[in-house]
Amino acid sequence: MNDVFLQLQQEALAVFLKIQTLEELEAARVEYLGRKGRLAETMKELAALDESARRDAGKTANDVKRTVEASFAATEARVVAGAAEARQAQEWLDVSLPGTVPAVGHVHLTTQAIDEITNIFRHIGFVRSRHPEVDWDYYAFESLNMPKDHPARDEWETFFVGENGEVATGEKGKIVLTPHTSNGQVREMEKGELPIRMVSIGKCYRRQATARHLPMFHQFEGLMIDKHVTVTELKGVFDYFVKRYFGANRETRLRPFHFRFTEPSFELDISCAVCNGTAKVDGAKCKLCKGGWLELGGAGMVHPNVLKAGGLDPNEYTGFAFGWGVERTMMMRSGINIDDIRTLYKNDLRFLKQF
Amino acid sequence: MNILASYNWIKEHVKTNISAEEFAKEFSLRSMSVESIDHCGAHFEKMVVGVVQSVAAHPNADRLRVAMVDIGEGVVPIVCGGTNLAEKMRVFVALPGARVRWHGGADWTTLEQASIRGVDSVGMICAPAEVGFDKVACGDHEIWDLSGITDASVGTPIAQALDCDDTIFDIEITTNRPDAMGIIGLAREAAVAVGGEFLQMRTLPLTKGESEGVSVRLEDKRCERYMAAVVTGVSVQKSPWWMQKRLLLAGLKPINCIVDITNYVLLELGQPMHAFDASSIAQNTIMVRPGKEGESLTLLDGKAVKLDSSIMVIADAEKPLALAGIMGGKDSGTTMKTTTVIFEAATFDALTIRRSARAMDVASDAQLLFEKGLSPSALPVALARAVELVIQIAGGTVTDVIDVYPTPRIPKRFPFNPERVRSRIGVAIPDAEQVNILTKLGFDLQKDGDTTMMTVPYWREDDIEGEVDFTEEVARMYGYHMMPAVLPASRPPASFDDATLDWAAWTKRFLASAGFSEFFSNSMVSVSDLEMYGVSPKDALAVFNPLSTDLTHMRPTLIPSVLRAIERNQALTHTASIFELSRVYLPHEGQLPEERMMLVFGEYGGADAEKTFMRLRGVLEYFAAKSGIAFTFERDGENDHWHSGRTAFVFRNGERVGIVGQVGSDFQTSFGIHRPVFLAEINLEALFPHMKHTHRYEALPAFPVVTRDIALLVDERTDFEKIVAVVRGAGALITDCRVVELYRGEEIPAGKKSVTLGVTLMASDRTLTSQDVDDVMATVIRELALRVDGVIRG
Repeated sequence: MNDVFLQLQQEALAVFLKIQTLEELEAARVEYLGRKGRLAETMKELAALDESARRDAGKTANDVKRTVEASFAATEARVVAGAAEARQAQEWLDVSLPGTVPAVGHVHLTTQAIDEITNIFRHIGFVRSRHPEVDWDYYAFESLNMPKDHPARDEWETFFVGENGEVATGEKGKIVLTPHTSNGQVREMEKGELPIRMVSIGKCYRRQATARHLPMFHQFEGLMIDKHVTVTELKGVFDYFVKRYFGANRETRLRPFHFRFTEPSFELDISCAVCNGTAKVDGAKCKLCKGGWLELGGAGMVHPNVLKAGGLDPNEYTGFAFGWGVERTMMMRSGINIDDIRTLYKNDLRFLKQF
Repeated sequence: MNILASYNWIKEHVKTNISAEEFAKEFSLRSMSVESIDHCGAHFEKMVVGVVQSVAAHPNADRLRVAMVDIGEGVVPIVCGGTNLAEKMRVFVALPGARVRWHGGADWTTLEQASIRGVDSVGMICAPAEVGFDKVACGDHEIWDLSGITDASVGTPIAQALDCDDTIFDIEITTNRPDAMGIIGLAREAAVAVGGEFLQMRTLPLTKGESEGVSVRLEDKRCERYMAAVVTGVSVQKSPWWMQKRLLLAGLKPINCIVDITNYVLLELGQPMHAFDASSIAQNTIMVRPGKEGESLTLLDGKAVKLDSSIMVIADAEKPLALAGIMGGKDSGTTMKTTTVIFEAATFDALTIRRSARAMDVASDAQLLFEKGLSPSALPVALARAVELVIQIAGGTVTDVIDVYPTPRIPKRFPFNPERVRSRIGVAIPDAEQVNILTKLGFDLQKDGDTTMMTVPYWREDDIEGEVDFTEEVARMYGYHMMPAVLPASRPPASFDDATLDWAAWTKRFLASAGFSEFFSNSMVSVSDLEMYGVSPKDALAVFNPLSTDLTHMRPTLIPSVLRAIERNQALTHTASIFELSRVYLPHEGQLPEERMMLVFGEYGGADAEKTFMRLRGVLEYFAAKSGIAFTFERDGENDHWHSGRTAFVFRNGERVGIVGQVGSDFQTSFGIHRPVFLAEINLEALFPHMKHTHRYEALPAFPVVTRDIALLVDERTDFEKIVAVVRGAGALITDCRVVELYRGEEIPAGKKSVTLGVTLMASDRTLTSQDVDDVMATVIRELALRVDGVIRG
């Protein structure tokens, strides 16, 4: 009987060696190791042997079974691996096909800029406030140290609300479409919560419509008020914003200027990225900047009259304010070079989906 | 306002030798912004003085002649069309390589040696406009005759011959500093900003002679001071070249020496003046008075204006002569025939000038300065300077000098505290340095007991309003660029971010992640936009002074803007998901408008109305779930603006907060949109107070859930809501019922639809057996048959 088992083993191992396909593998499993396979059938014959012969042959049978099973397992591993390889050899795709664009939407460039600006100021403790976009001229001008008929008001090209030849008026003067976000300054002070570190970003309106100026645009206004706020701190905040938003290699400068609602007042310039502040590109004059500098916006120390209008004692509190255009700021960084700023608000999806 | 300032001229009043570039940089950092630098000499390269030796006809052209011109290095032929070309004439010759503008056109080109109609021409004999002097008077087709302008020898470079080797700064002067609109003011600033001694201008004293009997009557309080000087025996002619040149480089046009002198004084001192021809003044009487109804005046520029009492005029005994401080009259100005001149130097009320100029739409350099506020103390110097110049240039003698100044000003004084200056700036600038800066700028320091006072110089009277202004003077002259940048180390602010703005930003990001792209439209819309959407302009805030008829009202709803944008896009982008989130402005009589944050989002161009609607509703439901609120929807069958069968109102906690559905076809058509537009309009302002980021955790089910799909045939107009209610009512084990598929097709009878429902069952305490599930589903099927007339398919 032992020989029968050993022969079966030899045969099975020889068959296994030749197996190439999954089908052959399964057929061989059924034939040798199946429930009614040849090994099982042969083992049934053990029952007919006497005790000692059965014990002897049984041991052989078990050895053979283990050997055949192990061999089968190795064969199976070999064949499966081979089959996977063969399948991979069959399977192919064109990896040069273009990617499918995910069906996400697009937040407008201006919104993206507003979010970025807000976040930068948030890092240094500024919170975002909301103020009216249609306001009393008291907040847009008077409270900002610009009395009625002051020539400085001309610089704002203001839209008024009203019709039939009459400007709408009410408790705090005429109603205007606010020409700057500075109308939020005294409103913020009136809340009576000190100290103040605010950014207010909103729509502004001016009577102008050119390739560089829009009748509706956005400004962001910064206001910090506390005891002992200094010019050097305004410089620090401005520097921080510019380096975060435009890049660490950009230089900044404050240049004297005049605004009625700040004293001292300055304009904030940043070094030009096109000529790196040298004012020259390939030996010729840089077309983008003025002498290597780009004008970003206005700023200054809050005028004592403005603090008074906000109910604060200028002997106790000082502060600074700054404000400039979101669109302008964003165009100065992004290098998107939109020739005509009006493109921003034409709502052409082919444009909007680029960002 | 800007001034074109000659660096050579500035240097006559401040001792400095630094380069123009260096000057511009330092001046910009501490004083006024130099916006551009123009080296005039560079324009005149390869240009020389020539003398015409002979003129001959051109063989091939009637209008051209051939001049032989001595240019120093030799005699060259130049073809020229100038009608005034003559032998011995001193001419402006541009040689090959020079940059010129043909016939004064816009483009500069480089001259080349050329053959013109077969005759060689070495360069060009120029007219003033061809070399940039557009404002030099010169007849049509004439060339510039340099005789009387320069006697430089032939071949002398033009920059030298015309003394134009100068640098012109274009400087932006801030509106508070009219004193810097003159060379003297700039030099005074430069002495501190750039360094160097300030050299004050000296004028001869004004002395009068035998009176001509001219009198001045001040009958309008809006004129604070009026000075006049009468000069007789003048001979009016062209100004000398040195004066013309300074006017030209500053962008002004030379007229005659009298007018030029007033403009020269304007450039030098920033004080506008006027000159009258005494012979045009009736009864030798000058009156400053309000205009009268019915009067009119023809101005220098030819424009006729009607007068009234709001306008201040200079008049004689009979008629108005000039608009005070704005512009002279056509008939009273000086001409080449004038022999007696009356110079006027006066101070007029800034606001009156400003209002009158606006009302009459007249602008001038004088008016621009007067409306900024000028000091009466500036008049004697300006008048003396003008008289000095007229005697020098046009001869004559002074007869009358008149000064009417009823209430002289008292100089302004404010306390000066160097410690406060330091604390506002944040830099320890010593007392002495502060005082030095202010003194050089003309401020005068006095001790008044314990207080230090600063007296404001007259030329800064309108600008300096208080102690805080000293901080600016010290800070800017110390130099902002010299100060450190320090991040605030003080307390954090007392308030927090405005939550509505946070939620608005969140909503935009949410919609973008859901596939919607953001529109951003002008808040100003037209009457027709409103009317096309059935909104009466009366319900919108009207702009009093609109820029155009397209932008007359502040929108009370976002939908017209969105529809307009869809119309613009539909041809190129056939279908899209879009949104706009913005404040709208809702009028309140006598009050500020309500600024309500609104959201409109939706889809246009989609083919399947049902799917589109479900998607929008799905976005709303998911939006609500993510922001801690819940919406319910109710069919809207009445709203005019929306499709009556395809629209639902959106409610939050019983309050109507929006609408979702198909835009009414009338409105779609009126905007020219070809395919259905589905929108949701949500009043975010009503939601903001309830939105929150907190989420509740729900324990995951402990036992398996079972889902059974059934296909149900029902009437087309059976609301799904009703079906769900029936299913959910059929047993406590049912936890959910969703739509798996909606189908209408061949096997489905007309007026019916097949709704495949996915019913989810679960027990919280055990695993369900298939018997449990079968039992519940049998009830579901029975109830559906009973209550919604539903038949199970297949």
